[in-house]
Amino acid sequence: MIVLNDIHKHYGRVRANDGISLTLEPGQIYALVGENGAGKSTLMRVLAGHTRPTSGTIEIGGETISYLTPTLARERGVGMLYQDPLDFPAMPVWENFQLGAPKRTKQEVIDVIGELSYRLDACFLPDEPVSSLTVGERQLLELLRLLDLGATTLILDEPTTGITPEQKQDLFNLLMKLAREEQHTIILVTHKLSEAYELADSILIMRQGALVSTLQPPYNEKELVTLMFGEAAEGVEDELPQLPPAGPTPRLAMNDTHFAGPKYSMGPMNFIAQPGECIGLAGLDGSGQELFLRGICGLDRMPRGVMSLDGKEYRSNDFNTLRRAGIQFVPADRLEMALFPALNLMEHIKLAFPDRRGDLTEFYETQCVESFNLRAHPDTNASELSGGNQQRLLLSLIPDDSSLLLMEHPTRGLDAGSARQVWNHLKGRCAKGASLIFFSPDLDEVLEHSHRVIVFYDRAIAGIVDREHATMDIVGALMAGKPISELMETTR
Amino acid sequence: MKRDSLLEQIGWLGAAIALALLLTIIVTLPSGAPPFETIYVLFKGGVGSMSKIGRVLASWVPLTLCAVGLLIPFTARLWNIGVEGQVIMGAIFCAGAMRPFDEGGMLQIAIAIIAAMIGGALWALLAGLLRVFGRVHEIFSGLGLNFVALGITLWLIFGPWRRPGVASMSGTQPLDMSLWLPRLGKLSVSWVGLALTFAAIIVIYILMHRTEWGLKLRAVGENPKAATLFSLGPRRRLLQSFMICGALAGLAGAVQVLGVYHRLLPAISSNYGYTALMVGMMASFRLGLVPFICLFFAILNVGSIQLPLQMGLDSSLSGVIQGIMVLSVFIVQGLRLWLNNKREAG
Repeated sequence: MIVLNDIHKHYGRVRANDGISLTLEPGQIYALVGENGAGKSTLMRVLAGHTRPTSGTIEIGGETISYLTPTLARERGVGMLYQDPLDFPAMPVWENFQLGAPKRTKQEVIDVIGELSYRLDACFLPDEPVSSLTVGERQLLELLRLLDLGATTLILDEPTTGITPEQKQDLFNLLMKLAREEQHTIILVTHKLSEAYELADSILIMRQGALVSTLQPPYNEKELVTLMFGEAAEGVEDELPQLPPAGPTPRLAMNDTHFAGPKYSMGPMNFIAQPGECIGLAGLDGSGQELFLRGICGLDRMPRGVMSLDGKEYRSNDFNTLRRAGIQFVPADRLEMALFPALNLMEHIKLAFPDRRGDLTEFYETQCVESFNLRAHPDTNASELSGGNQQRLLLSLIPDDSSLLLMEHPTRGLDAGSARQVWNHLKGRCAKGASLIFFSPDLDEVLEHSHRVIVFYDRAIAGIVDREHATMDIVGALMAGKPISELMETTR
Repeated sequence: MKRDSLLEQIGWLGAAIALALLLTIIVTLPSGAPPFETIYVLFKGGVGSMSKIGRVLASWVPLTLCAVGLLIPFTARLWNIGVEGQVIMGAIFCAGAMRPFDEGGMLQIAIAIIAAMIGGALWALLAGLLRVFGRVHEIFSGLGLNFVALGITLWLIFGPWRRPGVASMSGTQPLDMSLWLPRLGKLSVSWVGLALTFAAIIVIYILMHRTEWGLKLRAVGENPKAATLFSLGPRRRLLQSFMICGALAGLAGAVQVLGVYHRLLPAISSNYGYTALMVGMMASFRLGLVPFICLFFAILNVGSIQLPLQMGLDSSLSGVIQGIMVLSVFIVQGLRLWLNNKREAG
C-alpha cells in the first residue's frame, strides 16, 4: 500500500501539486484524469522518484519518507511507463530488456523474456532490433522489463497514444490480469474519459494541482466532465461544415505522385481533395502520414509525379513557391519546429507578414487578440506562452487567404477548451473554402473532424474512407494492415 | 527568462575579475614572481605613457573589428573560428592590391581596403558554402582554412612576392610611406583605423537591432526549421552573415598591413582572430561589452612586453592571464545560472 500525504510541489509561484493526499491499494486499477497542466505528471513523477516534492510525506512499504529517488522507487517496486517509450531503438530486444537489471547471460535473459511473454500472452524475438517493433510492442516490452525488475506498482502515462484499437484492448486485458491475478497496483494517467470508464476501479480527478474528487463506479459522465474541466466544459463545438458540391477544379490533385523523405519514400499516390474539405490522416507512427504532409508542402522531395493546386500544375514541389500559392504547413512540435522561442509575439508577426510595414500594433490587436483571444503582451517571448497560446499564435500567423492547411496534430498538448477553440477556428476556415489535411495520434479526433479519412499502413495509402464508413472498427483494421477489399465485403 | 539589470551584470563581471586576479596570483607564485607587482607592471606597461596608449589602441582596432564581426554569425548560431584565416586573407588581398603601386595616396589605400574586405568575405564564404551545402561544420572548415591561409602567406612571402635578393620571415618589401595609413598625431595608431572601427560598431548595431535583416537573422539562429517554414531563406542569410564577418576581419587585416607592419608578414594576424573569439565568449556576444573587453585585452597584450624587460618573466604569461579571464567569466556565469535555478526551484 502506498499513501501520499499532503504532497506539495511548487515551481516558483506555480503550484503544480497543492496538498494531495492519496491512498493506493494493491490489486486496484486507478485512472488519474485531468486536463493538461492539472498536475497529473508532476504527481506521478513524485511517486516515481523523479521529482522531489516541496513538502509532504510518502508512506511506502510501511515506511514514511519525505521523498523518493529513482533508485529507491525502483527498489520499492514503483515502475513508470512513459508516453514515449524510453528505449534504445538500435539495440536488440534482449539488450533493451537487460538494461538496469542485474548481470545475467544472454541465455538467462532470453529465458526470462520467454517466461514473462508466456505468462502475459506476448511474443518477442530476442534478437530483433527494437526499431522494427511497433509503438504498442515497445510499450509491452518496457512493461515486461519493469515487471522483471520487480515492479508491483505500475504507472502508465497516456499509454494508448499511437497504438491501434486492437493493441489497446490487449494492453487493457493485460493490465486487468496483472491487477486481478497478481495484485499489482495500476495507475493509468489519461485525458480520455472513455478509457477511465472501461478499466478503472476508481477514477482520481485532478484540477489545477488539486485532487478534486475520487469516484467509484457506476460513473456519472456529466459529473465527471464538470469536475474535470469546470466551467470550460460549457461550450459549443461547431458542427463539421457541409461539403459544397464538388466544383470543376479540385483544390489538390495528386497524379502518380512519389514523395521521398530522409528515411523512406512512398508512391505512386493518386488523390483529390475538394475546396472546403477536412481530411484526416490515420495510421500508426511512421506509416507514411508525416511524409504525406511534408511532401505536399515541399519540405520533402517529390522525385516523380505531378501535383496540381487549384488547377495549376506543379512538377516540382518547391516549398517557397507552394507557400506563396497558399499551402501552409503547421507542425506539431511548436517550439522545436514552428516558433522562435526567444523572439516576442510582435517579432513573429513581423516575420510572418513581411509585406505589412509601419506600426503593427493595430494589426496585432485584430489578428491575435480579437480573432484568437491571445491574451499576452506583444513583448512576451514565444517560449513563455502556454501550449494553448502557442497554438493560437501559430494559427494567427497563417494568412487568411491560405487555401490548403496541412496540420500535424492540431491540438497537441491543449486542454479541452483550447482544443475546441482550435477546431472551431479550423472549421470556420473550411466553411470559407479552405481545405484542411491533418493527422492526429488520437483516432477519435480524426474520425470526429474529417469528411474523409486516409488510412496509412506500411508507408502507403491503405484506403480512403468516407465519413459514413469511417468507424473505429474499419479504420482500426486498416491501420493494422487488413486490406480494404476484404473489409468492404464484410460491411456489405 | 528576463535579462538581469545592467548593474547586476557589472557586479557579476566584477566578481569574475576578482576571481581572475586570484587565479593569476596562484599561477604566478610558482614562477617566483611577486604577483601584485607582476599585475602592476602588466597594466603600467599598457597605460603608462601616451605612446603605450597609442600601441594599445593600435591593437584594439583589429581586435574590435574581428570581435564585432563575430557577433553577426553568432547571432545565427555559427562559430566562425575561421576569422583568423579571414584576417590573413584580408591582409593578402590588401598587399596584393598594393603591389602595382610604388607610391600613392588615399585612393590607393581605399582600393586596398576594399580588396581586403572582399578577400576576407570570400574566404568566409568558402567556410559558409562548406557549411550550407557540404554539411561541414564551420568550426572544422574554419580551422582548416586558417591553416590554408597561413600556408598561402608563407608561400607568397618565400615565393612570388619575396623581397628582391633575400626571402625571409621578415616579410615582403615594405610599402612606400605614402601608402601608409595616416597616424593619429605621434601615436602609433591610425585615425583612419579608429574611425573605421567606430563606424563598424555603429553599422553592426543598426544592422542587428534596427533592420528587418537583423530580425530575420536572429530568427534563423533561433530556429532554422521554423525559418524555413516562414520562407526566410535561412541558407542565404547564413552565407551573408559569414561574409559580413569575413569583410570586417579582412578590414582588420588591411589595418595590420597598411597601419602597423606596412608589409605582409607570416604573423600578420597576430592571433587577433582567436583572441576575438575569446572576447566574444566573455562578452556573451553582447555588442555593448565588446569594445571594453577588447580594450582590456589590448592593454594586457601591450603590457606583457614589459614582463621580460622588467621582471625577467616570459611574455606568454599575458596569454595565461587572458585565458584565466575567460575561464573565470565562465565559472562565474555557471555559478550565476546555478544560483538562479536554485532560487526558482526554491
